[in-house]
Amino acid sequence: MKKHAGMIGKWSVVTLLWATTLMAQAQSVSYKGMFRGSSMKVDGTSTVHDWTIESKLISGSLELTGDFPADLSVSEVPALSGTPKADVKISARSLKSGKPKMDQVMLGAMKADDHPWITYSLKSLTPSKAARQSGDALAYDSVGELSVSGVKKEIKMPVTFTPTDKGLKINGKVQIKMTDYGIDPPAPKIALGLITVGDELDLTFEWHTQKK
Amino acid sequence: MASAMAMMASGANVLKPSQVTAQEATSNAGPPVKFGVIGCGYHGRDIVGTLAVLPNAPIVALCDYYGAFLRRTGRSAPEAKQYADYKDLLADEQVEAVVIATPSHQHKQIVIDALKAGKHVYCEAPLASSIEDARDIALAARNTPKAYFQAGLQFRSDPQRDFLVDYVRTGAWGQTVSARSQWHKKTSWKRAAPTNEREKEINWRLDSQLSTGLIGEIGIHQLDAKNWFLGMRPKAITGIGSTVLWKDGRSEPDTVQINLEYDKGIHAGFDITLCNSFDTDYEMYYGTDAALMVRGSQAWMFKEADAPMLGWEVYAKKDTFFKEVGIYLVANATKLTTVTGSGEDAAKDNPYKDTPLYYALEAFVHNAYVHQSGVEDFVAGFGDEDEDALREYLVELESSKKPAANYLHGYEANVVACKAHEAILGNKRIEIDDALFNLS
Repeated sequence: MKKHAGMIGKWSVVTLLWATTLMAQAQSVSYKGMFRGSSMKVDGTSTVHDWTIESKLISGSLELTGDFPADLSVSEVPALSGTPKADVKISARSLKSGKPKMDQVMLGAMKADDHPWITYSLKSLTPSKAARQSGDALAYDSVGELSVSGVKKEIKMPVTFTPTDKGLKINGKVQIKMTDYGIDPPAPKIALGLITVGDELDLTFEWHTQKK
Repeated sequence: MASAMAMMASGANVLKPSQVTAQEATSNAGPPVKFGVIGCGYHGRDIVGTLAVLPNAPIVALCDYYGAFLRRTGRSAPEAKQYADYKDLLADEQVEAVVIATPSHQHKQIVIDALKAGKHVYCEAPLASSIEDARDIALAARNTPKAYFQAGLQFRSDPQRDFLVDYVRTGAWGQTVSARSQWHKKTSWKRAAPTNEREKEINWRLDSQLSTGLIGEIGIHQLDAKNWFLGMRPKAITGIGSTVLWKDGRSEPDTVQINLEYDKGIHAGFDITLCNSFDTDYEMYYGTDAALMVRGSQAWMFKEADAPMLGWEVYAKKDTFFKEVGIYLVANATKLTTVTGSGEDAAKDNPYKDTPLYYALEAFVHNAYVHQSGVEDFVAGFGDEDEDALREYLVELESSKKPAANYLHGYEANVVACKAHEAILGNKRIEIDDALFNLS
């Protein structure tokens, strides 16, 4: 009987943990991308000058488990119990330089007619090991799949989360190579062959979301 | 406008921006926008001819209720469907953008219906023959953010003038003194027709009840350029007009002069005649350090003897105009440029290329695409419930568009034209309440 009682006790703990996990997942919070405040910049180089293209249209959704910190006062960024989800998309033609001809060159290089969307799908978030002070944005190391010009690649990227009035602000920065995505760095004919664009790009984004 | 044909100086080379820049020479045209042209009269045919030069402006539909005009213009666009009723053209889903080139007094309802049908609209200038109609058109454009609207004030898209505006605002001509323009051409403006009824209809420009006459129908481009270059709106207009040569029963004068009064004591004169061709058309701007002459898509600066040295003018090309030396002002001259020929040569090759209308329609095609793709991308990501957010995004896109006249430019120029017309017909001075320029 005692043995049975011990087993029941163990099962109760397991059940409790399982139920707690389920509850946490059930209480996961969903967010959707907002236009206002969002921006993704792509900074590149060339033999003539550095350049930037930018999109203000980062749309998509984010789903975080219920144990995601609600504010910045936590002393340590916790590991998440469930799998976070994020699916984000940016229209390639929404990337603008302010120079129509350069936009044309860029869209041609990205084969944007065939692959009009740049997409990102989040796979995991791991708490950053970087030193943290109360009030700092919540830092995680993310792993996800970035699809550009029809080529999908896994990328690792440090990101931070900051609670806002409406939801969360997510910031991140990563370097990629055009050639990794099958894009030949443009050498536009319009410049009489004088310009060659560098392969490396810095992607910097700020994504504002609101709770659904 | 073909002002270059009547240069005072002999042998002047004509530099056109599109031929000057190496970038232009090999530029890649953007995605196509499918056009419908409403109004196939004389100007409608120019529009069809110009669209045909652009590589990304297929004409898929034409409309005119006068069958002879429709058929004649149709020969220049054989693939286009032909409609007698503009509402049928607007119902054609193939049509993405329309150019409205009907008589000015017929624009209003067509513009409003076109915007409602979701078409991008290029409305010829003047927008309307009355301030009230122009206001309704401008408000319809403002209230339809998903459609791109461009007023047909061609100079706003001219690369040379766009370059000059920035240049003169650096203070290169010193303190602004005054401005003057003219448009001279010996021509009756009277058009022949097979019946009296049709003749009356087709000669609407000569009827003071239907049109804003010379100052509105041809002068509006230079009126707009004055406001644009000076960065001001006139406070008062004095006008006079008379019928000197073409005494054929028309109610519109064939010769008009106006004087526009701006702030700071700045005055601008403008004379237009259908009775003499001397010196055709140009605009002059006078400053304390230099005068600026703009003819077609060319410009020269005439420096005062006591003006400070700018440096670059020592090496610049120059032309002699009687006893004055004009320094060429070339758009994008600081960039890599290659002079490949003259604008007059290009005009001989194709009369529709590199004209102010060409640049305006080229801008329209580009801007309509940028606008439409921006709306589509925004709605795909965020839906269309938040119209304010959509408007904010469209403002962000302005820097990706080519220079062009918007509904407000069109409305303001229309107000000036209508007031100038009123002053001319009354041979009087009219003060303009600045509140009249306010659309809200």
